[in-house]
Amino acid sequence: MKYALSTLVGATALAISLIAGPAMAADDGIIVYNAQHENLTKAWAEGFTKETGIKVTVRNGGDSDFSNQIVAEGAASPADVFLTENSPAMVLVESAGLFAPVDADTLAQVPNDYQPASGKWVGVAARSTVFAYNKTKLTADQLPKSMLDLADPSWKGRWAASPSGADFQAIVSALLQLRGEAATADWLKAMKTNFTAYKGNSTVMKAVNAGEIEGGVIYHYYYFGDQAKTGENSKNVDLYYFKNQDPGAFVSISGGGVLASSKHPKEAQAFLKWVTGKGGQEILKTGDSFEYAVGKGAQSNPKLVPLADLQAPKVDATTLNSKKVTDLMTAAGLL
Amino acid sequence: MFPTAIAVLQLLPLDGTGTASDLMQSAVDLARSGLPVGTGRRARRRAAPWLVIAAIFVSLLALLPLAFIIWVAVQTGWETVSALVFRPRVGELLVNTVLLVLLTVPIAIVLSVALAWLSERSDLPGARLWAWLCVAPLAIPAFVHSYAWITMVPRLHGLWAGVLVSVIAYFPFLYLPVSAALRRLDPALEDAAAALGLGPWRVFWRVVLPQLRLAICGGSLLVGLHLLAEYGLYVFIRFDTFTTAIVDQFQSTFNGPAANMLAGVLVSCCFVLLGLEVLVRGEERYARVGSGAARYQQRTRLGRATIPSLALFVVTTLLALGVPFVTIGGWLAAGGAAVWRFDEIGLALGQTLFLAIAGALLATVAAMPMAWISIRAPGPLQRLLEGCNYIVGSLPGVVIALALVTITVRIALPLYQTLFTILVAYALMFLPRALVSLRASIAQAPVELERAASSLGRPPLQALWSTTIRLSAPGAAAGMALVALGIMNELTATQMLAPNGTRTLAMAFWSYSGEIDYASAAPYAFIMVAMSLPLTWLLYVQSKRMAGR
Amino acid sequence: MSFLEISGLHKHYGPVAALAGVDLSVISGSRTAIVGPSGCGKTTLLRLIAGFEAPDQGRITLDGEVLAKDGSAVPAHRRGIGVVAQDGALFPHLTIGDNIGFGMGRGEDKRAERIVELAYIVGLDKAILKRRPHELSGGQQQRVALARAMAMKPRLMLLDEPFSALDTGLRASMRKAVAELLEAAGITTILVTHDQAEALSFASQVAVMRDGKFSQVGTPRELYLKPKDRMIAEFLGDAIILPAKISGGFANSPLGRIAVDTSDSRDVARIMLRPEQIALKRTSREGMSGTPDMLFGEVTESEFAGSMCTVAVRLLNSADPPDAAAIGNTPLILRKPGMDAPAVGEIVRLTVSGKAHVFA
Repeated sequence: MKYALSTLVGATALAISLIAGPAMAADDGIIVYNAQHENLTKAWAEGFTKETGIKVTVRNGGDSDFSNQIVAEGAASPADVFLTENSPAMVLVESAGLFAPVDADTLAQVPNDYQPASGKWVGVAARSTVFAYNKTKLTADQLPKSMLDLADPSWKGRWAASPSGADFQAIVSALLQLRGEAATADWLKAMKTNFTAYKGNSTVMKAVNAGEIEGGVIYHYYYFGDQAKTGENSKNVDLYYFKNQDPGAFVSISGGGVLASSKHPKEAQAFLKWVTGKGGQEILKTGDSFEYAVGKGAQSNPKLVPLADLQAPKVDATTLNSKKVTDLMTAAGLL
Repeated sequence: MFPTAIAVLQLLPLDGTGTASDLMQSAVDLARSGLPVGTGRRARRRAAPWLVIAAIFVSLLALLPLAFIIWVAVQTGWETVSALVFRPRVGELLVNTVLLVLLTVPIAIVLSVALAWLSERSDLPGARLWAWLCVAPLAIPAFVHSYAWITMVPRLHGLWAGVLVSVIAYFPFLYLPVSAALRRLDPALEDAAAALGLGPWRVFWRVVLPQLRLAICGGSLLVGLHLLAEYGLYVFIRFDTFTTAIVDQFQSTFNGPAANMLAGVLVSCCFVLLGLEVLVRGEERYARVGSGAARYQQRTRLGRATIPSLALFVVTTLLALGVPFVTIGGWLAAGGAAVWRFDEIGLALGQTLFLAIAGALLATVAAMPMAWISIRAPGPLQRLLEGCNYIVGSLPGVVIALALVTITVRIALPLYQTLFTILVAYALMFLPRALVSLRASIAQAPVELERAASSLGRPPLQALWSTTIRLSAPGAAAGMALVALGIMNELTATQMLAPNGTRTLAMAFWSYSGEIDYASAAPYAFIMVAMSLPLTWLLYVQSKRMAGR
Repeated sequence: MSFLEISGLHKHYGPVAALAGVDLSVISGSRTAIVGPSGCGKTTLLRLIAGFEAPDQGRITLDGEVLAKDGSAVPAHRRGIGVVAQDGALFPHLTIGDNIGFGMGRGEDKRAERIVELAYIVGLDKAILKRRPHELSGGQQQRVALARAMAMKPRLMLLDEPFSALDTGLRASMRKAVAELLEAAGITTILVTHDQAEALSFASQVAVMRDGKFSQVGTPRELYLKPKDRMIAEFLGDAIILPAKISGGFANSPLGRIAVDTSDSRDVARIMLRPEQIALKRTSREGMSGTPDMLFGEVTESEFAGSMCTVAVRLLNSADPPDAAAIGNTPLILRKPGMDAPAVGEIVRLTVSGKAHVFA
């Protein structure tokens, strides 16, 4: 009996390693370090593979860990393509000199506003900062005029954010670029006293919806995504766009780039081209991501407030400094 | 998720005849005391050099993460280190972590002692069933407990929420050793105390409780180490500890110095716990003095206290098992057939099983030389080496992962993000589990057999294989099962180290629940629990059997 | 004056009757031994007296106070009865000093002095008080257990096979020391044991227990020489049991005419002799002739074991022919001093001294 048991265990181990082992080794196709939402990249990867037959292996993570990881990996990075939700992570990798130039065809598919002048990476989607608030707790006239107002003592204990996420850190990086280091540090310090920390923007919205907190600084698409499903985490939520070129009206560009160290540069470039092209951008319109499409002539989901109406501040994506942001946030005790 | 540091198994008494250690002893304890493991009766003998070399190699490997943290600290320079360590945020985390431990551990102790006493020493109806139900919560990963609670009570957050869910998730780590100790207590001592004029309560305080001290110390240490190491549980209920902060830093800066210094502080906390346990435990001896078999224990009649006692078990079971099962069931019902994406689930299940079994095999093989030496050729060197292994086993997975990421990236790049590295991480984290089980079973394989095989002409390795290894196979299998259980529910290290394309059950669960897609996460939670339940049954049976000897 | 009075005590564990009607009365200051094979219920009786368990039926009174009656019982800690368990049951987590002082109040007057005094009384060195139980030998542990029980000045002391774990040599001396000690302290004592020699030498009253009942209670001498039945006789020592016809204070048995302890007359009776009542004297086959009223035997086995030698003797002639065949095949087993024991094949003459006991 005992021996039978151990034999069984051994046999199972062998069988499973034969079945599952190969599934885990990805030596063909391209490897994408994906910081975008898993579903979106999955849809892109499937669409791309269907069209080109090139296999895509996705490793999921976050903007910041991947960007730092790629820098640490250096030339030996196994990644071929890097996709983010926000620009600062792209800037970090770019300034380490690890990106190959993006093919001109690809760059041509995206307006200049959504790509850096260097041409080292390209915007693949965009998202807008919003103040999501609970309709039953706040009325329109009680909303903050500017995101900076949230530093006011009157907002103490009334708003939420997800400071460990790259999304919020991108917003801070925009603030840093627009208002400078001193103002940003002050705002973060006030934020530390005023805000309630949650992990993840969905969680923030869920808390707002439940009335645990009055409002939160997140991106727009969480609301639309939930509304498209059951709306159970957003039925009490409304979105407030700061507009007015406020730092809180920041539109963040999600980027894509090809690693200089890629062993499959052709396939990697093809992937990026596909994502920024018709097929990839169409998925943004029709899929459940609700991020803004950025391709030339591409339409975003009609449910969204058009990009052009958002009165976003002009922020040069190539100067967003993620290292400085995490240092400031660490100093403010947010990390 | 934590390496579940030192296996629960280790909490169970292995053997009363002096062969084996006492499962009740915690890691360090085992390391420190050098284990009375059957050395008395058997002649010490010289270990084969290749075994010693293998054991030294494994121990050095185990020390890597620790050495790494020191190395990073030295490299970073004192100024930066002190700036990163002595800042208000670290103070905040420290207060959070200390309060969490100070509140959770005593509550868990009181609860476990009460439950253990009632199920072992009273005439509680259905005591056997309740005893198993008190172990079963171990089958539910801590972050699934939290997921269930946050579904039931969405507003749950902060310190008290942390204490509540932690007690529920971790009390079995105390319940197991305490009930095993109670089972082994010599009832004659209680009789003696009663005859000396002590009423039942005073007997409990002055005789029973002091003898549970070792079990309570060991169990508390385990709970404490888990509290320090757990990640997912506290993310759900928004309670920041060192581990969550390290992961935050890792997510913001990858392997930056801030993350590593937080890890340094966390490691110090672990050492403080280990040291405290040694201090509190003292030099007590709790074994039966004298000879003769312990008498069959009389069960105390509860009488009118039966109903409240049953109520305690019902409430505990409802909280620890009812809430997760109802929640998972609820989400599964809400999600319907749509959440059963069989291709995706199948892949995750296959990968998880593969990692769990491969990791368990590696951990067992790595533990083999050390286990053999500690039984057959104990001595100061062995004690030292074993100490290394246990200390690393008590480090949070996030620390080990962080170290391995940095080491492989900087020094051993070909190993970076490979199956090999993640399996090494698992082996390091769960080595103590494998070691304890193996040692117990090797202790049961008489050395004479090995010698007989040698005298019949088998070369040493073959002799070892055909006797000790074959005989210790059941114990090794149990140890492997426990390692596999740990790997199956591991999250943080897996996320940081796994090869590209890996998606384990825990990772999939975490990713869905992170997007508040609780319904899609439910099948994964369900599978993790369903696969773990038989293993906790094994644990329960083993604890019964071992204490019964 | 009876100090401890037990009557009609019953105790069941499920369907098993551990005690089936036990009566016992113990005189103040005396020593009683309860002896019986394992599983006879003696430990259960002790636990009922100590108060660890309650009887199903029956009464226990101590010094006029009812301790237990028909299911209700005063709990152990209110009885003031000292108990020394088989292996001492010392608290492993306490020092020897704390073990001895366990039953005293923590702030009790002169606690430390009392502990030292008690240690002295049981013959323990002061230096031992700071040690832990596991550092002590078995004999020392028993002394500590005794001191601990005496510290509370018990009305009654219960000893549960306290010497059984000790080496043979140590056992006898411990037994003697404890008996003297308790005697000096004037503490009424009950000893439970399965060792008949221990019971006989220790107690002034011995109760033999079997199947949850006392089969005989009396002084050690009474029990040894006048056991009620064959089983008691054999339990308390080697016995030679013979069929006999008795009349007028004598028995006609295979061993000839032997004085008996009764004046009854019975045609069919069984008598008992202790082997030490039979003496052997060397002779030869030639010596047998012409002495028809004497009894001879041949040594068929002789097993030397140092000081003693076990000798098997087959009777060569018997005074009582009808039963001779039966007894002739079963040699008498006698223990004789090893120095001058007869060897196999030797012819011996047997003589019986003292009276034989007649079973009722």
